[in-house]
Amino acid sequence: MTIRRPIVWVHGDDLSPENAAIAANPVAPAIFVFDDRAIERYKVTLKRIAFIYECLLELPVVIRRGDPAVEVLAFAREHDADAILTTPSPAPGFRQIVRTLERNLPVDILSGMPFVPDLHYDLGRFSRYWRTAERHAMSAADE
Amino acid sequence: MTADLRRDFADRDDLSVYLREQFPGATARGEDISPIRGGRRSALTALARIDPVRYAATRNDLNGAVTRLSPYIRHGVLSLAEVRDAALARAIEPGQAYKLVQELAWRDYWRRLYAEIGAGVWRDREPLKTGKRTDRYAPDLPPEIERGETGLACMDAFARELRETGYLHNHARMWVAAWVVHWRGVRWQAGARWFLRHLLDGDPASNNLSWQWVASTFSSKPYLFNRENLARYTGNRYCRECPLRDACPFDAPYEELQARLFPGVPSPDHRPAARKDRRR
Ligand SMILES: Cc1cc2nc3c(=O)[nH]c(=O)nc-3n(C[C@H](O)[C@H](O)[C@H](O)COP(=O)(O)OP(=O)(O)OC[C@H]3O[C@@H](n4cnc5c(N)ncnc54)[C@H](O)[C@@H]3O)c2cc1C
Repeated sequence: MTIRRPIVWVHGDDLSPENAAIAANPVAPAIFVFDDRAIERYKVTLKRIAFIYECLLELPVVIRRGDPAVEVLAFAREHDADAILTTPSPAPGFRQIVRTLERNLPVDILSGMPFVPDLHYDLGRFSRYWRTAERHAMSAADE
Repeated sequence: MTADLRRDFADRDDLSVYLREQFPGATARGEDISPIRGGRRSALTALARIDPVRYAATRNDLNGAVTRLSPYIRHGVLSLAEVRDAALARAIEPGQAYKLVQELAWRDYWRRLYAEIGAGVWRDREPLKTGKRTDRYAPDLPPEIERGETGLACMDAFARELRETGYLHNHARMWVAAWVVHWRGVRWQAGARWFLRHLLDGDPASNNLSWQWVASTFSSKPYLFNRENLARYTGNRYCRECPLRDACPFDAPYEELQARLFPGVPSPDHRPAARKDRRR
């Protein structure tokens, strides 16, 4: 299926204007959602919200609040979108949201430049990870 | 559907007033706005200032040449790859950037682990090596710690800095965590929750797994420091003025602290060359 009218969902792990999802489709409408429940669950203080907000002011996004899945889907409907583009996150909450979105629209998760390639790393201890990662980490990505 | 939040602000004060109105819950917990500004422009300014060579030589010092990039990296305003590339570009030969790149790698490591274990970052990865059972630790953080009213000049200053700026130097984070868990006997999760409320770079991966590293549920021994170590890396700035300077709980050789805090646990090697006063 070819995607014609995607929207971009920007989340808190990727607040760069060079976000891979924005870069892939710079004219697509983009949204960020403050997750009210998460803010209460983690008892986040205002300075963290302000920092994120200042990042958002430099991005071409509509800012809303509420349940991220609900808000992103509403935004997709407003724009008659046929797909959602976003970027990856290791957070379990992210996977949950993506599952909800996917019940309604295809979700394309686009990655930016990796720090080290996605090989198999032994994560038992940092030293074991570093044994494999060091060589890659120490060479510039743009070489 | 909710209405769009505002995007047009005259200045930072205008933004703060608006956010206080919009987020009364978060404001009630702490209405400070950090002097650290969000956004790619500020991030690039900070990135232009990194100094990998001085970093390697001074990063354990509170006044050392640390980058302060963590809030930007945490929120993907800067990618680890682009910070690494900038560090390598600034170095005359790659080895000069080694230490900084390795610290960046810690974040990559914690994130990969987080992707695997998810909410498991909230549970002990391994048993404690402190000789005490988990249920001997208090579940909640004593309020005077959070308020910075314990009388310990160093710890109270760190609590205040955390609250006012949302940033703490890595060494300060290690000292605070060790004090909370080992001296005050509080469960690491309570400390981790406290940090996450305030840190602009707050991240369950780096934060919780570092707390576990200090606590010893993700390392082979608990992390300890003493007064001499803290005084050295802070230029003695807290101890001088401390009301408890003659009753400092940290003022002892490592062997003695080890015996006092973890009775019955065989002492690991505390010779300076072996422990390097820090983790890595
Ligand atoms: C108890 C405790 C809690 C912590 N909580 C967090 C947290 O929530 N978020 C967070 O990003 N870091 C956390 N750290 C790691 C570290 O303290 C901070 O990343 C660092 O102090 C940020 O300051 P800086 O940008 O000046 O670091 P620099 O020393 O200049 O390092 C450059 C970058 O490398 C990464 N980095 C450096 N050291 C570490 C480390 N030990 N672990 C992971 N990444 C590292 C960060 O992205 C940092 O911005 C914690 C450490 C401890 C001991």
